Amino acid sequence: MQKITTPAKYDVLIIGAGVVGSAIARELSKFNLRIGVLEKNIDVGLECSSRNSGVIHSGIHYKPGTLRARVDVEGNSLMAHLCDELKVKYKYCGKLTVAQKKHEIPELQELYDQGCKNGVKNLKIINLAEMQKIQPGIQGTAALHSPTTGIVNPYALTIALAENAQANGANILLDHNVCGIKHDKNGFKVKCTNDTELSSKLLVNSAGLFSDKICRMLDIEEYKIYPCRGEYYVLDKRLEGSLKTLIYPVPGHDASGLGIHLTNTVDGNILIGPSNEYVNKCNNYDTTEKIMEQLRKEGRELLPGLSMADFIRSFSGLRPKQTPPEKGGFKDFVIEKRQDVPGFINLVGIESPGLTSAPAIAHMVRDFVAEDLHLERKNEFNGTRPDFSSHFNELSIDKKIALVAENPDYGEIVCRCEHITKKEVLDAIRNPLGARSIVSLKYRARIMMGRCQGGFCLPRLTHILETEYGKDVSNYIYNGLEGYLFTGRVRDTINN
Amino acid sequence: MKKRTLTCVVCPNGCELEVCLDNKNLISIEGSTCKRGYKWAKQELTDPRRTIASSIAVDNGDWPLVSVKTDRPIPLTDIAKVMDAIKAVRVQAPIKLGEVLISNAAKTDTSIIATRNVVKL
Amino acid sequence: MKTEKRSIVVIGAGPAGLAAAIAAYNAGAEDILILERDTRLGGILNQCIHDGFGLHYFNEALSGPEYAQRFIDKLRDTSIEIRSDSMVLSLTSERVLEVSSSSGYSRIEAKSVILAMGCRERTAGAISLPGSRPAGIYTAGAAQNFVNMQNIMIGKRIVILGSGDIGLIMARRMTLEGAKVEEVLEIMPYSSGLPRNIQQCLNDYDIPLHLNTTVLQVHGRERLEGLTLAKVDEKHHPIESTKRYIQCDTLLLSVGLIPENELSRQANVNLHPITGGAYVNENLMTSTEGIFACGNVLHVHDLVDHVSEESELAGQSAVKYAAGKELKIDKEMIKLTPGNGVRYCLPHQISGKNDVIISLRVKEPNRNRHILIHENNHNIAKEKIVRLHPAEMLRINVKASNLKSCREIKVSIA
Repeated sequence: MQKITTPAKYDVLIIGAGVVGSAIARELSKFNLRIGVLEKNIDVGLECSSRNSGVIHSGIHYKPGTLRARVDVEGNSLMAHLCDELKVKYKYCGKLTVAQKKHEIPELQELYDQGCKNGVKNLKIINLAEMQKIQPGIQGTAALHSPTTGIVNPYALTIALAENAQANGANILLDHNVCGIKHDKNGFKVKCTNDTELSSKLLVNSAGLFSDKICRMLDIEEYKIYPCRGEYYVLDKRLEGSLKTLIYPVPGHDASGLGIHLTNTVDGNILIGPSNEYVNKCNNYDTTEKIMEQLRKEGRELLPGLSMADFIRSFSGLRPKQTPPEKGGFKDFVIEKRQDVPGFINLVGIESPGLTSAPAIAHMVRDFVAEDLHLERKNEFNGTRPDFSSHFNELSIDKKIALVAENPDYGEIVCRCEHITKKEVLDAIRNPLGARSIVSLKYRARIMMGRCQGGFCLPRLTHILETEYGKDVSNYIYNGLEGYLFTGRVRDTINN
Repeated sequence: MKKRTLTCVVCPNGCELEVCLDNKNLISIEGSTCKRGYKWAKQELTDPRRTIASSIAVDNGDWPLVSVKTDRPIPLTDIAKVMDAIKAVRVQAPIKLGEVLISNAAKTDTSIIATRNVVKL
Repeated sequence: MKTEKRSIVVIGAGPAGLAAAIAAYNAGAEDILILERDTRLGGILNQCIHDGFGLHYFNEALSGPEYAQRFIDKLRDTSIEIRSDSMVLSLTSERVLEVSSSSGYSRIEAKSVILAMGCRERTAGAISLPGSRPAGIYTAGAAQNFVNMQNIMIGKRIVILGSGDIGLIMARRMTLEGAKVEEVLEIMPYSSGLPRNIQQCLNDYDIPLHLNTTVLQVHGRERLEGLTLAKVDEKHHPIESTKRYIQCDTLLLSVGLIPENELSRQANVNLHPITGGAYVNENLMTSTEGIFACGNVLHVHDLVDHVSEESELAGQSAVKYAAGKELKIDKEMIKLTPGNGVRYCLPHQISGKNDVIISLRVKEPNRNRHILIHENNHNIAKEKIVRLHPAEMLRINVKASNLKSCREIKVSIA
């Protein structure tokens, strides 16, 4: 883990290390500024950023002139270069928004017009024959084809942004839960529940689901977040290749989401979902039998040949909506520099397309920062990450042979379902942010994400952890500081 | 008087035996199709016995634990104290499969024997 | 990368692979290679420290490690080559394997391949357990690995979902190690475990078994805190009035085993939808020539003794094939299908020229019935079975002489 030096006063403190906060940190780390990111969880990106469809949206769904439309289209154009630099997997696989019935075609036309106004390129409304050329067997009357829609691994992107920001001098402070903020003409004093207090000239609120809570610490009362849960199913990789492009239905007019759809992931799984249900707590990530049954039913309709064994896991995410349940729909992003609290850059309600927009939002925040601070480019900024973007098992056979000869740990398979090697697991364990939960290792090395869901690899992984983390197994955590995996030993031996 | 149903485990037929008990006294057994089943039921009701398997801590071995078993079925009521004896002991590698690791465990006559080999590191 | 040409390659050194390899050696093969992805030989037997193994095969009550050691000892007298810590990454229908190990990559071309990869456990994700995702939910086999092999204790207050033998064995194991096993839950109206295990793992320790019960919701943010349970009706729908909450910190899942056929799929082996394993003929050859299957990867067994017997046949067949014998059954093949009351039967194709052992499982528990092997009304074999249970595989011997001029045989309960 990298050593962190704490400055007496930060230039910019960012609250929240989701994909947006991490993108902001990386962008600001290009300049000679003292940057800190306060993340309440034990790793970056554990909330909205890792729990979504991973879609790089084209921009057809947003009202022209809105902030959402602007940052999405801009973010979409920046994503390829960013992912290439950070060695994050992505793919521009395109999307078909499908009208099943004739009466939905005017909506397709609306989306087309909207997209064009937003500057989305290469949109086309196509007929069934053309649809079937792209996705054999698909049914429908017509579809809007958006080739600039893509997919990316959202947690890999968040981790890459944060780790690269840290490599360039930003301090990513995990387990720093902000509980109080004091503000005067000199800047901000931020207090965390772990008893640390940090000062900063400027403060960025990138706290996602908790952005309204942060606002209230500064007596800004006008925002409220309504968490809206979306449940997903993950399908087995054996279906890889059956989905050539993303397939979405035409959304209803005031739907709170985009409707249940099928999404490829860059790792070869298919996601079904998300559903749409307002919940009462910002940490209610439960999945429900009712929704899962619905997803199973719709999945089997959309993908004939699907068997029960193909559903390997379900998960859920929460949308930080600004509209209450009785209203639904969407409100535009809030990305503002507050006049009433000078130096406070406030981001509220960054739900979809927050992932796509992250690089563009980072630019906006950089420009806000430039209004107050002098931005001097760092010569030694290195925006690229080492190694390879794919997992080891996706490399060519010659590359693999060469790497194994150099490092035998590349020859030992730890995760049998996903063919993840010991070296990749060690790299994940030794990550520069110092994240040490099993979920952190999952998101970095992909271990435990296959069919056996850890049945085989968790024991093997634990064996490696005994060497890396020490023999006190009661210290190993799954997803949070209270999420202990084990209670201790069966017997005491000299070796533990 | 108590009635109980037991599934005999002597052979795969798994006969369902209806037994009548008066405290520990066996009044009748019905449903057994062979003598062995009758014998087994009698033993099971008056003095049930089990072999148990567990682990003993190993120092300096390629396994941290050596799997062990009792060398004979022991009274059900003795299991707790035999387990205590197993938990209290630590052995040194190397261990050979079949080796007696504890004799006369908890004064029950049973030996605790290793069921796997452990190599010394 | 050079291609190594080998005669017999066995994937897996668990009980199936070991028995197959030794049988191949005894049948005269001189070049046999076993590829095992773990460091040790013995497969799942290493963690099954309880007894009950070998009652048929050795006439003794052995623990898993002891049973495995009998076969590992036999290896010493053979020329069988074993590569452990070696994982087969891919298998083609031309029997070309790519293998990864820390000593490097290798490509092997085999005359015969024996699939002996065993199975994996059904997961929480696969049964869509509703609720949160805390730490403390383990499959029973993974828990067994931690407790018996790695000296790690997984929890203090345990609920077990699924009354199959693995769950029952772990109920006893955890109790002996000082945990409190609150209850064992089973969604069916009967347990899928052996009666001996119900007595010796649950009744002995006063652990209640709740039939017709399932988990409605998992509670706990970071570590499991409790479960909402309910009884279910015949359609497995929860009965609202029976909902209750139980406090616990660990949930063990014993909800089924799935044969590990990922390599088989790559080699175009046709898989049977009910067993999850390969379609095989009486030589245990799959739909891909020269590829054989045995043990849990073919169909989930309950007795390792049967695994050993079955795998010996696979080993012998693999040797015949490597020596050039035609083992495909095309002409005059007899199809075998399950009839009344039978869930599946195996092999799926027989020649009628050889004696054959038919393995089968019944759909429901029953007593004092006959297993009938018949073509329409013509009986080929009939055997009285006193106790029938889905959890207990039956194996019936059929003589070749009884199979003359058959085309399609059914296996039924009468």
